[in-house]
Amino acid sequence: MAKQSKPSSREVIDSALNRLLCDLALGDGGKLDVANRSSELVMLVVGLGSPALDSLIGDVAVASNVRDLEPALAAFSEAWNVWTPESEQASGPAAGPAPAAREASAAVAPTPAPAAPASNAPSRVDEDIAALQGDPELAAMFVGEALDHLSSIEACVLQLEASPGDTKLLNDIFRPFHTVKGNAGALGVTRVQELAHKVENLLDLCRSGRHTLGPAETDAVLEAVDVLTALINDIQARLNGQPGTDLEPRRWTLMDVVDGLVNGTSAVARPADAPVEARPHESANSTQSSPLGDSTPASDPTPRRNQGRRAEDVAGQAVKVDTRKLDNLVDMVGELVIAQAIIQEDPALLKTADERLTRNLSQLKRITSDLQKNAMSMRMVPIRQTFQKMARLVRDLSKKSGKSVDLVLSGEDTELDRRVVEDINDPLMHMVRNSMDHGIEDAERRATSGKRPEGRLALSAYHQGGNIVIAIADDGAGLNSERILAKAVSQGLVRPNDTLTPSEIHQLIFRPGFSTAEKITEISGRGVGMDVVRRNIDALRGRIEIQSTIGQGTTFLIKLPLTLAILDGLVLGVGTQRFVMPTFGVRESLRPVPEQVHTVQGRPCMMQVRDKLVPLVWLAELFGIQGRETEPCRAVVVVIEDDGHQVGLMVDGLLGKQEVVIKSLGEAFGQMSGVAGGAILGDGRVGLILDAHGIVGRTRGEGSRAA
Amino acid sequence: MTAAIATMEPETATTREVSSLAGKYLTFALAGEEYGLPVLKVREIIKILDITVVPQAPPHVKGVINLRGKVIPVVDLRLKFGFASQDYDERTCIIVIEVALQSSKVMMGVVVDAVSEVLTITSDEIEATPDFGEHVNTEFMRGVAKIKGRVKFLLDLDRIFGGVATLL
Repeated sequence: MAKQSKPSSREVIDSALNRLLCDLALGDGGKLDVANRSSELVMLVVGLGSPALDSLIGDVAVASNVRDLEPALAAFSEAWNVWTPESEQASGPAAGPAPAAREASAAVAPTPAPAAPASNAPSRVDEDIAALQGDPELAAMFVGEALDHLSSIEACVLQLEASPGDTKLLNDIFRPFHTVKGNAGALGVTRVQELAHKVENLLDLCRSGRHTLGPAETDAVLEAVDVLTALINDIQARLNGQPGTDLEPRRWTLMDVVDGLVNGTSAVARPADAPVEARPHESANSTQSSPLGDSTPASDPTPRRNQGRRAEDVAGQAVKVDTRKLDNLVDMVGELVIAQAIIQEDPALLKTADERLTRNLSQLKRITSDLQKNAMSMRMVPIRQTFQKMARLVRDLSKKSGKSVDLVLSGEDTELDRRVVEDINDPLMHMVRNSMDHGIEDAERRATSGKRPEGRLALSAYHQGGNIVIAIADDGAGLNSERILAKAVSQGLVRPNDTLTPSEIHQLIFRPGFSTAEKITEISGRGVGMDVVRRNIDALRGRIEIQSTIGQGTTFLIKLPLTLAILDGLVLGVGTQRFVMPTFGVRESLRPVPEQVHTVQGRPCMMQVRDKLVPLVWLAELFGIQGRETEPCRAVVVVIEDDGHQVGLMVDGLLGKQEVVIKSLGEAFGQMSGVAGGAILGDGRVGLILDAHGIVGRTRGEGSRAA
Repeated sequence: MTAAIATMEPETATTREVSSLAGKYLTFALAGEEYGLPVLKVREIIKILDITVVPQAPPHVKGVINLRGKVIPVVDLRLKFGFASQDYDERTCIIVIEVALQSSKVMMGVVVDAVSEVLTITSDEIEATPDFGEHVNTEFMRGVAKIKGRVKFLLDLDRIFGGVATLL
């Protein structure tokens, strides 16, 4: 970098300095503007590699408010006006930059020595909060932006790990760190600023080729992303009046690590780094012709990197819209579709022979369904980010467990409803952990069974028949049906002489408290997890299927509906009321014959459905409303299932199958068991959407109370 | 009227409140009595229609209706105020109002016997709610308006429906 300072750099710095001074003098522009300008200037000056200027610009860099910034800037501009590259040459350029950077980083550290961080921690936290409290809007903007930047950093770091030496990626990591630091500095969030600054220094050294970005550095940067994210979340929590967590020890540890790495730069100048150092000049081009002839990752990183860029381009053209507005729009369009269907089905129109009217109506239908598709697509986001989080998880887990695992991602551009993407994160994480821990064997066992030493974990997402499928496939040991069954029997989940199909046996792993892992590891095996996964997927109205072959691996298929806004339901009639039962909770519906129904004290209570006894319940009775039928054999029994428990719901009649738009009943009703929301039915009346989980729970609860 | 109020504190408070009560009111009939709602709180008035019963709701919560694609709760004011219920007829109306529940503003329907008119009520016509003794709960009233010899009770909607997290 030092050698690259061309004559024009003086003009560039002059103009940056001028603009900053103007901003300060005029007092206009937001705090963030000034901060960005000043960090721009700092960057330029650091790029010159002059120790004399570096120490002065260091003061500018750490100034957290205008009062500190002005004198620092004045001192710098004085020195700058008399500075020439030649004057610097005399004092020896080669040794210059690195110590200067270190000096700057030292200057950022608080004046009280890091030796006593714990004692001054609370006050530092309070300072940060106080700095943001004045302007909640600005604070919210800072938090939002910073979190965005941090997630983009994480993605880039992981890509960089796959294609080391990619200067563009390194820059993509450096820039957001820099922005976060600048913004934090401007707002006076010094804890964030300090940490970001240190990491930025480290990255800058890597960028200019004075330091190699090895595994230790990558770990430090990733840890920095975690700590910064935690810090910012903590700040947000505290601003909202929630209790915070003490992150200071973690932050100090990390800062020491980074300092260690930065200080080690000159000492550990390995000769092996030479090819990397030679590269910065051709940086702008590609790394495909990498001289580091590692053959294995060479084919892999290139497409991934391209995808990363494409995502970036798309983001550039996006508009941020409040999700409530979007949800509103989707709701309205849903209503429009229903209204359109009502008109289409109107008897008066069905009778009409008017061709023009018919033509216009079908035109309306086409436009309506296009509009619906478009509106739905607005809520859709690609699953890429979630997958990238998994990439990070796999990396960390494989370090922790010592199993080396290749993660293969595909279909990252598959779009899902925004809420699904958010809610799928936790279950997916559990399943990846599970596959890493229980699925993929350790290297020795893999070797004995003749597999490659590296495990393979494939995450993919694709469309399949109106569903979205997310598949998690490992090439591990597979599910051991015998062991699962034995465990389930020993835990009393199934009776010893029950006959279960292989898929029923596999589904047992989703039962609460079930775990076959003989040892509890740090990663998983506590028996919590898979049942949570199942519950989360159920909440998204999805299903999990398992395909497993012993010795060859397991594939979990999560099947999710395309959208959460519309639901496929059976319309049930009870008295004058109608209810919608989501079809995914319904096993079957039938009209019972007298021999099937068993009574207790004259009341129908059980029904024989093939070889199973299913408890019966009147929906009218459950909800305290007036039903038409009181005789089970004249009623329709809808068998619903939740968590393996079936209940026969007796209703007056089955009125049809319909797609409905789910509407919340609003906060006025709070949480009601058995009701999931409301839907507007074809005639404009509201039908309540039933919740199988709540109904089954209530029936079981009441049954045990009665017993 | 004011003399009926025994203690000084509520007196000063209500007098101050009374002067700010002047404005337009939608008046309606309920069990032979006249009530008024601030017109600014009223979103619209609709004829009674089929109400979907919501299970486990208290009796005065009649259920939910579809208001142009929105599902909103409906409360029978007769039952809320402890009057005997009456079959709905062609004069029965649902007044759609907006009230501030705990965290947000929500729309809800209020079933009344019949809607009368919109009146501009001046502060001279309004008096603080008198103390009717233990048998009458005046907590929901902002004041009393005397117009042409008839008394109209001005209701405080946020006091009736707001403040609680849910209707259940």
